[in-house]
Amino acid sequence: MGEDTDATLTLNHHGFLPDHNYVTEADIISTVEFNHTGELLATGDKGGRVVIFQREPESKSEPFSQGEYNVYSTFQSHEPEFDYLKSLEIEEKINKIRWLPQQNAAHFLLSTNDKTIKLWKVSERDKRPEGYNLKDEEGRIKDISTVTSLQVPVLKPMDLMVEVSPRRVFANAHTYHINSISVNSDYETYMSADDLRINLWHLDITDRSFNIVDIKPANMEDLTEVITAAEFHPLHCNLFVYSSSKGTLRLCDMREAALCDKHSKLFEEPEDPSARSFFSEIISSVSDVKFSHSGRYLLTRDYLTAKVWDLNMESKPLETYQVHDYLRSKLCSLYENDCIFDKFECAWNGSDSVIMTGAYNNFFRMFDRNTKRDVTLEASRESSKPRAVLKPRRVCAAGGKRRKDDISVDSLDFTKKILHTAWHPNENIIAIAATNNLYIFQDKLNSEMH
Amino acid sequence: MDRTFLTLRISVVPNSRGGTKRSRGHDGFVRHMKSVKGTSMLGRGVKRKWSSLEGSEAEQLPDAAATEDKRLDAALEDSEEEDRGDRRSRTDAGHLQQRQLVLSLCLKKLQHYQAGVELSLRRSVLLINTLRQIQEEMQSDGTDVQLGGVSRDARLLRDDFREDESVTCPGCTEGDAESPSPPPSPEPTNTTPTDLHKPLPNVVGHTFSDAGSAMGYLSDLALDDIFEDIDTSMYESSELPSAWAAGSLWPVSVSFWPNDDDVKLCSSAGSLQSCLLDLNELDHIMEILVKS
Repeated sequence: MGEDTDATLTLNHHGFLPDHNYVTEADIISTVEFNHTGELLATGDKGGRVVIFQREPESKSEPFSQGEYNVYSTFQSHEPEFDYLKSLEIEEKINKIRWLPQQNAAHFLLSTNDKTIKLWKVSERDKRPEGYNLKDEEGRIKDISTVTSLQVPVLKPMDLMVEVSPRRVFANAHTYHINSISVNSDYETYMSADDLRINLWHLDITDRSFNIVDIKPANMEDLTEVITAAEFHPLHCNLFVYSSSKGTLRLCDMREAALCDKHSKLFEEPEDPSARSFFSEIISSVSDVKFSHSGRYLLTRDYLTAKVWDLNMESKPLETYQVHDYLRSKLCSLYENDCIFDKFECAWNGSDSVIMTGAYNNFFRMFDRNTKRDVTLEASRESSKPRAVLKPRRVCAAGGKRRKDDISVDSLDFTKKILHTAWHPNENIIAIAATNNLYIFQDKLNSEMH
Repeated sequence: MDRTFLTLRISVVPNSRGGTKRSRGHDGFVRHMKSVKGTSMLGRGVKRKWSSLEGSEAEQLPDAAATEDKRLDAALEDSEEEDRGDRRSRTDAGHLQQRQLVLSLCLKKLQHYQAGVELSLRRSVLLINTLRQIQEEMQSDGTDVQLGGVSRDARLLRDDFREDESVTCPGCTEGDAESPSPPPSPEPTNTTPTDLHKPLPNVVGHTFSDAGSAMGYLSDLALDDIFEDIDTSMYESSELPSAWAAGSLWPVSVSFWPNDDDVKLCSSAGSLQSCLLDLNELDHIMEILVKS
């Protein structure tokens, strides 16, 4: 499918972890997100830790080689908590990270676990004042008798230090588990969604939030549907969408009512009665929803497919992409081992022409909406040598004709799932979270978005 | 796609804490990292029953999971193909087998209760909807829900319960001596489970939701007597009458729907459920105290 081009940059090794090693559960990456410029990439893990990577600036000696991502900062965002009233543990796992658009020298991000959202400020310090009158260099108070003259402290350069501090803690607003957060285009508010409710917050106010969606029935025995994901429209600050476990999408307009229980638009594909099985509902549950950058389309992911919807057409999706249809005959086994409940995320590229989502066996898929071509790639150390071409992979049906390098459905490793992926906002750089490993791939041939 | 992502420079960054392992020891972790081949009341038993249904010797190998899966897969794939081909014939053996398996898996998953960890509401809702779907299908089929006779499905489930009971405690084996046929009356004569869940919807913020209706469904199939034999030695105390033994599933259902009002459930009228809940909480608190 293409040629290897010369890449002379060194691989950024952080040490190899053999695949058969015991994976520390706390290191499993649970969310990946680029910031608005793509300069920073944040990951959150099951242990409540956030790691931020920064892209090295372009090297002047090699103007066509972009920088690598190096660790910029690491901090503990959430700690495990214990809910004494319910005798339940609250996991510290970071469910989502969302960056705020940058407004000054500092960077801000929101990170959330099941119950609490935190606003973190990430700032750099590369200068420090020196020449205090009353303190010496180590900070000890000087003997006043030795002070004979006044000096003005000056700022001297120092080694770069990245400081992270929690600026806001938004707590106690969610009874159920938070699955999504989304920053509004007004840059003043954001929403947090749990299984049954969506709350609207002001970024500066932590002691109250507005409930804008509530689908909790009066009698919990009547509950048949939960909220699975929610996102604000990228351009219209009054619009947002939320998806459900029944495969529906609801577009809501906050101007219509304070409580947006009535949707403005309901996107639902009618079920094909001939395809109905015991698992139909489970596989129709939407695990992720993303607006396109243009705001004209919605991308949704359910268990077997990724769908692109036009905001103007509620009756059915514009495009449907089969991510791993070979699993359709395996649904019962996947139900048994709980894999059928896995929640895969999806992503748009910057120009909304390509969509990407993960699958099993550390495979991830990309679909070009214009050419209708797709590719399956693998994120693994064995198949990814430094500066190597990523070979397209193929999954063949069990017992079917097998080409060299094909992998049979029965050999897929269902413990290696790529649930979280992210695409750089402007360039063809992608971040893939494979269990506890983060892979960052870049298209060398074609860095600019098409 | 020809041009994008052919040539890739990679950064592979292992997310690592550099040696200090913070293993949480969750069962959930095990579930994530390996396929569940758990031993529970229904899982293994059902598989063995399947093989006996199919006429072959019941496999007793504990590690036959892989081969069982392959056999199951084959059987299920066949049955699913049949399903797709002919939706109308629901009395398909393959379809019935699959339905039975899904039903038992559903119940097994719903019963899986892990102290201290909140169940995912989404998962619970999806499981319960599946259960409802199966229930509706069985009811619309008509044959399987006749309460007079012993349906094959009911016997399957009941026998599975019995099979696992025998390994619990010697005292429970007395139940095996009882007549295997369920009470013939349409209304369940042993109404312990159904009675119990009636006062509960009155409790604020608490429901059994579909665990309760699942129980009702099961009791409709006249399976009540099986619960008498379930080992509840964990909960037994001199104050608890033996009838409360049936409630061993109750603490499970509580955790489905997180209590909205943060009010501990202490309903009146000595509801079995709340007593077992209290005992459960007590155990949990004792664990914490002992550990600290």
